[in-house]
Amino acid sequence: MGFDQVEIVLRPTSIEEAWTQLMERGDAARFMGGGIDLALFAPRSVKTLIDLADVPLSGIDEDSSGLRIGATTTMTEAIESPQLSSYAKGFLRDVLRQVAAPLQRNLATFGGTLASGHPWSDVVPALLILDAELTIYDGSERRLSLESFYGERAASGRSLIRAIHLPPIPEGGRGAFVSFTRTAFDVGMLNVACFGSVADRRWASVRIAVGGTPGLGTRLRSVETLLTDQAPSEEGISQAAEAASAAIDARDDRRASASYRRKLTARLVARCLREIGGLSKGGAR
Amino acid sequence: MTISFSINGERRTVRIEAHESLLDVLRREGFVGVKVGCHTGDCGACAVLFNGRAVNSCLVLAAKADGAEILTVEGLGTGDRLHPLQEAFLDEGGVQCGYCTPGMIISAYGLLSRNPNPTEEEIREAISGNLCRCTGYVKQIRAIQTAAERMRSGDE
Repeated sequence: MGFDQVEIVLRPTSIEEAWTQLMERGDAARFMGGGIDLALFAPRSVKTLIDLADVPLSGIDEDSSGLRIGATTTMTEAIESPQLSSYAKGFLRDVLRQVAAPLQRNLATFGGTLASGHPWSDVVPALLILDAELTIYDGSERRLSLESFYGERAASGRSLIRAIHLPPIPEGGRGAFVSFTRTAFDVGMLNVACFGSVADRRWASVRIAVGGTPGLGTRLRSVETLLTDQAPSEEGISQAAEAASAAIDARDDRRASASYRRKLTARLVARCLREIGGLSKGGAR
Repeated sequence: MTISFSINGERRTVRIEAHESLLDVLRREGFVGVKVGCHTGDCGACAVLFNGRAVNSCLVLAAKADGAEILTVEGLGTGDRLHPLQEAFLDEGGVQCGYCTPGMIISAYGLLSRNPNPTEEEIREAISGNLCRCTGYVKQIRAIQTAAERMRSGDE
Protein backbone atom coordinates (compact mmCIF):
# COMPACT_ATOMS: atom_id res chain seq x y z
CA MET A 1 0.00 0.00 0.00
CA GLY A 2 1.15 3.55 -0.66
CA PHE A 3 3.87 4.84 -2.97
CA ASP A 4 6.26 1.91 -2.33
CA GLN A 5 5.70 0.06 -5.58
CA VAL A 6 5.55 3.14 -7.85
CA GLU A 7 8.07 2.93 -10.69
CA ILE A 8 7.12 5.81 -12.98
CA VAL A 9 5.67 9.27 -12.44
CA LEU A 10 4.38 11.19 -15.45
CA ARG A 11 3.45 14.87 -15.60
CA PRO A 12 1.24 15.50 -18.64
CA THR A 13 0.33 19.06 -19.56
CA SER A 14 -3.05 18.46 -21.21
CA ILE A 15 -6.08 16.35 -20.48
CA GLU A 16 -5.72 14.50 -23.79
CA GLU A 17 -2.09 13.62 -23.03
CA ALA A 18 -3.08 12.44 -19.55
CA TRP A 19 -5.80 10.23 -21.00
CA THR A 20 -3.48 8.72 -23.59
CA GLN A 21 -0.96 7.91 -20.87
CA LEU A 22 -3.64 6.17 -18.82
CA MET A 23 -4.81 4.13 -21.80
CA GLU A 24 -1.24 3.08 -22.65
CA ARG A 25 -0.44 1.98 -19.10
CA GLY A 26 -3.74 0.34 -18.34
CA ASP A 27 -4.67 -0.89 -14.88
CA ALA A 28 -1.17 -0.27 -13.51
CA ALA A 29 -1.71 3.50 -13.85
CA ARG A 30 -3.63 5.99 -11.72
CA PHE A 31 -4.27 9.71 -12.03
CA MET A 32 -2.95 11.74 -9.11
CA GLY A 33 -4.35 14.99 -7.73
CA GLY A 34 -2.87 15.91 -4.33
CA GLY A 35 -1.79 12.31 -3.90
CA ILE A 36 -2.94 11.83 -0.29
CA ASP A 37 -5.13 8.89 -1.08
CA LEU A 38 -2.44 7.20 -3.16
CA ALA A 39 0.15 7.79 -0.42
CA LEU A 40 -2.08 5.93 2.01
CA PHE A 41 -4.07 3.44 -0.01
CA ALA A 42 -2.61 2.84 -3.48
CA PRO A 43 -2.85 -0.89 -4.18
CA ARG A 44 0.30 -2.89 -4.93
CA SER A 45 -0.66 -3.13 -8.59
CA VAL A 46 -0.21 0.62 -9.18
CA LYS A 47 3.16 1.20 -10.86
CA THR A 48 2.56 4.45 -12.74
CA LEU A 49 1.23 7.70 -11.34
CA ILE A 50 -0.01 10.36 -13.72
CA ASP A 51 0.32 13.64 -11.83
CA LEU A 52 -2.29 16.15 -13.00
CA ALA A 53 -0.51 19.14 -11.41
CA ASP A 54 0.54 20.60 -14.80
CA VAL A 55 -2.82 20.06 -16.50
CA PRO A 56 -4.67 23.38 -16.24
CA LEU A 57 -7.68 22.13 -14.26
CA SER A 58 -7.65 24.37 -11.22
CA GLY A 59 -9.81 27.36 -10.32
CA ILE A 60 -13.37 28.37 -9.53
CA ASP A 61 -15.59 30.28 -11.98
CA GLU A 62 -19.11 31.53 -11.69
CA ASP A 63 -21.68 32.19 -14.39
CA SER A 64 -25.44 31.99 -14.90
CA SER A 65 -25.33 28.20 -14.80
CA GLY A 66 -23.74 28.22 -11.36
CA LEU A 67 -20.26 27.48 -10.05
CA ARG A 68 -17.60 25.48 -11.82
CA ILE A 69 -14.85 24.05 -9.66
CA GLY A 70 -11.83 22.75 -11.59
CA ALA A 71 -10.83 19.22 -10.58
CA THR A 72 -7.39 20.08 -9.18
CA THR A 73 -8.69 22.93 -7.02
CA THR A 74 -7.69 22.19 -3.43
CA MET A 75 -10.06 22.22 -0.47
CA THR A 76 -8.18 25.25 0.91
CA GLU A 77 -8.49 27.18 -2.35
CA ALA A 78 -12.22 26.48 -2.33
CA ILE A 79 -12.61 27.54 1.31
CA GLU A 80 -10.82 30.81 0.57
CA SER A 81 -12.68 31.58 -2.66
CA PRO A 82 -15.22 34.41 -2.56
CA GLN A 83 -17.53 32.42 -4.86
CA LEU A 84 -17.88 29.56 -2.41
CA SER A 85 -18.46 31.97 0.48
CA SER A 86 -21.52 33.40 -1.21
CA TYR A 87 -22.78 30.13 -2.71
CA ALA A 88 -25.62 28.57 -0.68
CA LYS A 89 -24.83 30.93 2.22
CA GLY A 90 -21.39 29.36 2.54
CA PHE A 91 -22.78 25.86 3.11
CA LEU A 92 -20.11 23.95 1.19
CA ARG A 93 -17.32 26.18 2.52
CA ASP A 94 -18.42 25.38 6.07
CA VAL A 95 -18.50 21.63 5.34
CA LEU A 96 -14.99 21.77 3.85
CA ARG A 97 -13.70 23.58 6.95
CA GLN A 98 -14.62 20.51 8.99
CA VAL A 99 -12.76 18.10 6.70
CA ALA A 100 -9.41 16.95 8.14
CA ALA A 101 -6.92 19.77 8.90
CA PRO A 102 -5.17 22.46 6.81
CA LEU A 103 -2.10 20.19 6.36
CA GLN A 104 -4.33 17.83 4.35
CA ARG A 105 -6.71 20.38 2.87
CA ASN A 106 -3.78 22.23 1.31
CA LEU A 107 -3.11 19.10 -0.76
CA ALA A 108 -6.50 17.45 -1.23
CA THR A 109 -8.22 18.22 -4.53
CA PHE A 110 -11.89 17.94 -5.45
CA GLY A 111 -11.12 15.56 -8.29
CA GLY A 112 -9.01 13.30 -6.10
CA THR A 113 -11.61 13.29 -3.34
CA LEU A 114 -14.44 12.38 -5.69
CA ALA A 115 -12.40 9.83 -7.63
CA SER A 116 -11.47 8.12 -4.35
CA GLY A 117 -15.11 8.25 -3.32
CA HIS A 118 -14.49 6.95 0.16
CA PRO A 119 -17.71 5.86 1.89
CA TRP A 120 -16.90 8.09 4.87
CA SER A 121 -16.36 11.17 2.69
CA ASP A 122 -18.05 14.30 4.06
CA VAL A 123 -17.69 16.01 0.69
CA VAL A 124 -19.77 13.47 -1.24
CA PRO A 125 -23.10 13.88 0.63
CA ALA A 126 -22.59 17.66 0.72
CA LEU A 127 -22.20 17.76 -3.06
CA LEU A 128 -25.07 15.31 -3.61
CA ILE A 129 -27.58 17.63 -1.95
CA LEU A 130 -26.32 20.53 -4.05
CA ASP A 131 -27.24 18.45 -7.15
CA ALA A 132 -23.60 18.56 -8.24
CA GLU A 133 -22.67 17.49 -11.75
CA LEU A 134 -19.30 16.50 -13.16
CA THR A 135 -17.61 17.00 -16.47
CA ILE A 136 -15.62 13.88 -17.15
CA TYR A 137 -13.25 12.96 -19.94
CA ASP A 138 -12.86 9.45 -21.25
CA GLY A 139 -11.65 10.16 -24.77
CA SER A 140 -14.41 12.68 -25.19
CA GLU A 141 -16.05 15.00 -22.75
CA ARG A 142 -19.46 14.59 -21.18
CA ARG A 143 -21.42 15.87 -18.26
CA LEU A 144 -23.34 13.76 -15.77
CA SER A 145 -24.68 14.02 -12.26
CA LEU A 146 -22.42 13.04 -9.37
CA GLU A 147 -25.00 10.39 -8.52
CA SER A 148 -24.81 8.73 -11.93
CA PHE A 149 -21.02 9.06 -11.92
CA TYR A 150 -20.84 6.68 -8.98
CA GLY A 151 -23.53 4.47 -10.47
CA GLU A 152 -21.76 4.24 -13.82
CA ARG A 153 -18.31 3.80 -12.41
CA ALA A 154 -19.34 0.77 -10.43
CA ALA A 155 -20.57 -0.75 -13.68
CA SER A 156 -17.85 0.19 -16.11
CA GLY A 157 -14.77 2.07 -16.04
CA ARG A 158 -12.32 4.81 -15.88
CA SER A 159 -12.55 8.47 -16.54
CA LEU A 160 -10.86 11.71 -15.66
CA ILE A 161 -12.83 14.25 -13.66
CA ARG A 162 -12.40 17.65 -15.25
CA ALA A 163 -14.71 19.85 -13.21
CA ILE A 164 -17.49 19.89 -10.65
CA HIS A 165 -20.56 21.99 -11.43
CA LEU A 166 -22.87 23.37 -8.77
CA PRO A 167 -26.18 24.65 -10.17
CA PRO A 168 -27.76 27.85 -8.87
CA ILE A 169 -29.44 27.45 -5.50
CA PRO A 170 -33.27 27.49 -5.49
CA GLU A 171 -34.66 30.68 -3.96
CA GLY A 172 -34.41 30.63 -0.17
CA GLY A 173 -32.73 27.24 -0.14
CA ARG A 174 -30.21 26.36 2.53
CA GLY A 175 -28.18 23.37 3.54
CA ALA A 176 -27.34 21.67 6.82
CA PHE A 177 -24.65 19.10 7.46
CA VAL A 178 -23.49 16.98 10.35
CA SER A 179 -20.76 14.39 10.55
CA PHE A 180 -20.81 12.25 13.69
CA THR A 181 -17.33 11.28 14.83
CA ARG A 182 -16.00 9.48 17.87
CA THR A 183 -12.86 11.64 18.00
CA ALA A 184 -11.74 14.75 16.13
CA PHE A 185 -9.10 12.69 14.33
CA ASP A 186 -11.33 9.93 13.05
CA VAL A 187 -13.60 10.00 10.03
CA GLY A 188 -17.32 10.09 10.73
CA MET A 189 -19.30 6.99 11.66
CA LEU A 190 -22.20 8.58 9.79
CA ASN A 191 -22.81 11.85 8.01
CA VAL A 192 -25.99 13.58 6.93
CA ALA A 193 -26.53 16.46 4.53
CA CYS A 194 -29.90 18.06 3.92
CA PHE A 195 -31.03 20.87 1.68
CA GLY A 196 -34.37 22.58 1.32
CA SER A 197 -36.33 25.75 1.35
CA VAL A 198 -39.62 26.75 2.89
CA ALA A 199 -41.80 28.85 0.61
CA ASP A 200 -45.42 29.79 1.46
CA ARG A 201 -45.08 27.57 4.52
CA ARG A 202 -44.38 24.49 2.38
CA TRP A 203 -41.22 22.42 2.00
CA ALA A 204 -39.65 22.74 -1.43
CA SER A 205 -36.50 21.38 -3.09
CA VAL A 206 -35.91 18.92 -0.24
CA ARG A 207 -32.77 16.84 -0.67
CA ILE A 208 -31.36 14.39 1.85
CA ALA A 209 -28.13 12.41 1.59
CA VAL A 210 -26.62 10.03 4.13
CA GLY A 211 -23.07 8.66 3.97
CA GLY A 212 -20.80 6.41 6.01
CA THR A 213 -23.59 3.89 6.52
CA PRO A 214 -20.80 2.51 6.03
CA GLY A 215 -21.59 2.79 2.31
CA LEU A 216 -20.91 5.83 0.14
CA GLY A 217 -23.22 8.84 0.50
CA THR A 218 -26.58 8.33 -1.22
CA ARG A 219 -29.64 10.50 -1.84
CA LEU A 220 -32.79 9.29 -0.09
CA ARG A 221 -35.35 10.33 -2.69
CA SER A 222 -38.25 8.43 -1.18
CA VAL A 223 -37.80 10.42 2.02
CA GLU A 224 -37.44 13.71 0.14
CA THR A 225 -40.83 13.07 -1.50
CA LEU A 226 -42.49 12.60 1.90
CA LEU A 227 -41.76 16.20 2.82
CA THR A 228 -42.23 17.99 -0.48
CA ASP A 229 -45.18 20.42 -0.42
CA GLN A 230 -45.92 19.62 3.24
CA ALA A 231 -46.02 22.30 5.89
CA PRO A 232 -42.88 22.10 8.07
CA SER A 233 -43.82 20.47 11.35
CA GLU A 234 -42.17 18.48 14.09
CA GLU A 235 -44.40 15.54 13.22
CA GLY A 236 -43.45 15.62 9.54
CA ILE A 237 -39.76 15.80 10.44
CA SER A 238 -40.11 12.81 12.79
CA GLN A 239 -41.76 10.77 10.05
CA ALA A 240 -39.07 11.72 7.55
CA ALA A 241 -36.35 10.90 10.08
CA GLU A 242 -37.84 7.45 10.72
CA ALA A 243 -38.20 6.85 6.99
CA ALA A 244 -34.55 7.83 6.47
CA SER A 245 -33.51 5.48 9.24
CA ALA A 246 -35.29 2.61 7.47
CA ALA A 247 -34.05 3.62 4.00
CA ILE A 248 -30.29 3.58 4.58
CA ASP A 249 -28.14 0.62 3.69
CA ALA A 250 -26.95 0.19 7.29
CA ARG A 251 -24.25 -2.32 8.08
CA ASP A 252 -21.88 -3.08 10.96
CA ASP A 253 -18.23 -2.10 10.81
CA ARG A 254 -15.56 -1.30 13.38
CA ARG A 255 -16.91 2.21 13.94
CA ALA A 256 -20.57 1.44 14.63
CA SER A 257 -23.25 -1.21 14.40
CA ALA A 258 -26.05 -1.14 11.83
CA SER A 259 -28.67 -0.56 14.51
CA TYR A 260 -26.68 2.33 16.00
CA ARG A 261 -26.39 3.86 12.52
CA ARG A 262 -30.15 3.67 12.03
CA LYS A 263 -30.79 5.45 15.34
CA LEU A 264 -28.14 8.04 14.47
CA THR A 265 -29.66 8.61 11.04
CA ALA A 266 -33.06 9.44 12.53
CA ARG A 267 -31.54 11.92 15.00
CA LEU A 268 -29.21 13.62 12.55
CA VAL A 269 -31.74 13.90 9.71
CA ALA A 270 -34.22 15.45 12.16
CA ARG A 271 -31.55 17.87 13.39
CA CYS A 272 -30.65 18.98 9.86
CA LEU A 273 -34.27 19.35 8.77
CA ARG A 274 -35.15 21.42 11.84
CA GLU A 275 -32.25 23.71 11.09
CA ILE A 276 -33.36 24.22 7.50
CA GLY A 277 -37.06 24.45 8.30
CA GLY A 278 -36.51 27.00 11.05
CA LEU A 279 -38.00 24.73 13.73
CA SER A 280 -36.45 24.63 17.13
CA LYS A 281 -36.48 21.29 18.88
CA GLY A 282 -39.88 20.68 20.44
CA GLY A 283 -42.11 22.65 18.14
CA ALA A 284 -42.63 25.10 15.33
CA ARG A 285 -41.12 28.53 15.74
CA MET B 1 14.68 10.33 -11.97
CA THR B 2 16.07 13.81 -11.36
CA ILE B 3 14.10 16.67 -9.90
CA SER B 4 14.97 20.24 -9.24
CA PHE B 5 13.39 22.53 -6.67
CA SER B 6 14.02 25.57 -4.55
CA ILE B 7 14.54 24.85 -0.88
CA ASN B 8 14.93 27.59 1.73
CA GLY B 9 15.76 29.98 -1.11
CA GLU B 10 18.43 27.79 -2.73
CA ARG B 11 18.14 25.79 -5.92
CA ARG B 12 18.82 22.07 -5.62
CA THR B 13 18.83 19.19 -8.08
CA VAL B 14 18.58 15.68 -6.69
CA ARG B 15 18.20 12.12 -7.90
CA ILE B 16 15.18 10.38 -6.49
CA GLU B 17 13.32 7.13 -6.87
CA ALA B 18 9.77 7.36 -8.23
CA HIS B 19 8.31 5.83 -5.06
CA GLU B 20 9.94 8.18 -2.57
CA SER B 21 8.03 10.69 -0.48
CA LEU B 22 9.17 14.28 -0.16
CA LEU B 23 9.82 13.57 3.53
CA ASP B 24 12.31 10.80 2.70
CA VAL B 25 14.15 12.94 0.16
CA LEU B 26 14.37 16.05 2.34
CA ARG B 27 15.82 14.11 5.27
CA ARG B 28 18.33 12.37 3.01
CA GLU B 29 19.36 15.79 1.74
CA GLY B 30 20.10 16.83 5.32
CA PHE B 31 16.94 18.73 6.22
CA VAL B 32 16.42 16.74 9.39
CA GLY B 33 14.32 19.50 10.95
CA VAL B 34 11.58 17.77 8.98
CA LYS B 35 10.58 15.05 11.46
CA VAL B 36 9.31 11.55 10.82
CA GLY B 37 6.26 10.83 12.93
CA CYS B 38 3.42 8.69 11.70
CA HIS B 39 4.12 8.63 7.95
CA THR B 40 0.34 8.58 7.44
CA GLY B 41 -0.46 12.28 7.44
CA ASP B 42 -1.89 12.33 10.95
CA CYS B 43 0.73 14.01 13.16
CA GLY B 44 2.10 16.99 11.23
CA ALA B 45 5.72 16.49 12.41
CA CYS B 46 6.89 16.42 8.78
CA ALA B 47 5.13 19.67 7.75
CA VAL B 48 6.91 21.84 5.20
CA LEU B 49 5.77 24.84 3.23
CA PHE B 50 5.14 23.60 -0.31
CA ASN B 51 4.50 26.39 -2.83
CA GLY B 52 3.44 28.61 0.05
CA ARG B 53 1.14 26.13 1.78
CA ALA B 54 1.86 23.96 4.80
CA VAL B 55 1.53 20.27 3.93
CA ASN B 56 2.49 16.90 5.38
CA SER B 57 5.62 16.01 3.38
CA CYS B 58 5.02 12.30 4.03
CA LEU B 59 1.91 12.53 1.82
CA VAL B 60 3.67 14.30 -1.04
CA LEU B 61 5.30 12.18 -3.69
CA ALA B 62 8.85 13.55 -4.10
CA ALA B 63 8.40 13.69 -7.87
CA LYS B 64 5.71 16.30 -7.28
CA ALA B 65 8.37 18.65 -5.91
CA ASP B 66 9.96 19.14 -9.35
CA GLY B 67 9.79 22.90 -9.88
CA ALA B 68 8.35 23.54 -6.41
CA GLU B 69 9.33 26.04 -3.75
CA ILE B 70 9.88 24.45 -0.37
CA LEU B 71 10.55 25.96 3.03
CA THR B 72 11.60 23.90 6.04
CA VAL B 73 12.28 25.06 9.58
CA GLU B 74 15.98 25.32 8.62
CA GLY B 75 15.05 28.15 6.27
CA LEU B 76 13.63 30.33 9.02
CA GLY B 77 15.72 32.95 10.76
CA THR B 78 18.98 34.40 9.46
CA GLY B 79 22.42 33.35 10.58
CA ASP B 80 22.45 33.20 14.37
CA ARG B 81 19.20 35.07 14.59
CA LEU B 82 16.04 33.08 15.21
CA HIS B 83 12.79 33.80 13.41
CA PRO B 84 10.24 35.59 15.67
CA LEU B 85 8.18 32.38 15.73
CA GLN B 86 11.14 30.35 16.97
CA GLU B 87 12.00 33.04 19.50
CA ALA B 88 8.41 33.19 20.78
CA PHE B 89 8.18 29.40 21.12
CA LEU B 90 11.22 29.58 23.43
CA ASP B 91 9.99 32.63 25.35
CA GLU B 92 6.52 31.22 25.95
CA GLY B 93 7.60 27.68 26.81
CA GLY B 94 5.98 26.29 23.67
CA VAL B 95 8.71 23.65 23.34
CA GLN B 96 9.04 20.63 25.57
CA CYS B 97 10.35 17.50 23.87
CA GLY B 98 10.56 19.52 20.67
CA TYR B 99 9.56 16.83 18.22
CA CYS B 100 6.41 18.56 16.99
CA THR B 101 7.99 22.02 17.07
CA PRO B 102 9.32 22.30 13.48
CA GLY B 103 5.99 21.19 11.99
CA MET B 104 4.04 23.40 14.39
CA ILE B 105 6.20 26.41 13.47
CA ILE B 106 5.78 25.72 9.74
CA SER B 107 1.98 25.59 10.14
CA ALA B 108 2.12 28.84 12.12
CA TYR B 109 4.38 30.42 9.50
CA GLY B 110 1.93 29.42 6.75
CA LEU B 111 -0.87 31.07 8.72
CA LEU B 112 0.97 34.31 9.54
CA SER B 113 2.20 34.75 5.98
CA ARG B 114 -1.44 35.05 4.88
CA ASN B 115 -3.02 36.37 8.02
CA PRO B 116 -0.68 38.53 10.16
CA ASN B 117 -3.34 39.13 12.82
CA PRO B 118 -5.15 35.81 13.38
CA THR B 119 -7.76 35.16 16.05
CA GLU B 120 -7.15 32.41 18.59
CA GLU B 121 -9.68 30.31 16.70
CA GLU B 122 -7.73 30.75 13.46
CA ILE B 123 -4.50 29.77 15.21
CA ARG B 124 -6.14 26.65 16.64
CA GLU B 125 -7.43 25.76 13.19
CA ALA B 126 -4.03 26.31 11.55
CA ILE B 127 -2.25 23.92 13.94
CA SER B 128 -5.11 21.42 14.14
CA GLY B 129 -3.10 18.94 12.06
CA ASN B 130 -0.04 19.15 14.35
CA LEU B 131 -0.08 16.73 17.27
CA CYS B 132 1.75 17.63 20.46
CA ARG B 133 1.77 15.16 23.34
CA CYS B 134 3.62 17.39 25.83
CA THR B 135 2.24 20.87 26.09
CA GLY B 136 -1.54 20.79 25.77
CA TYR B 137 -1.24 23.45 23.02
CA VAL B 138 -1.93 26.46 25.26
CA LYS B 139 1.66 27.68 25.30
CA GLN B 140 2.09 27.14 21.57
CA ILE B 141 -1.01 29.19 20.85
CA ARG B 142 0.35 31.92 23.08
CA ALA B 143 3.72 31.68 21.32
CA ILE B 144 2.08 32.17 17.92
CA GLN B 145 0.12 35.16 19.25
CA THR B 146 3.31 36.66 20.66
CA ALA B 147 5.19 36.08 17.41
CA ALA B 148 2.36 37.62 15.42
CA GLU B 149 2.40 40.71 17.65
CA ARG B 150 6.17 41.09 17.37
CA MET B 151 6.11 40.61 13.60
CA ARG B 152 3.34 43.18 13.19
CA SER B 153 5.21 45.75 15.23
CA GLY B 154 8.46 44.90 13.40
CA ASP B 155 10.06 44.18 16.78
CA GLU B 156 12.11 41.12 16.02
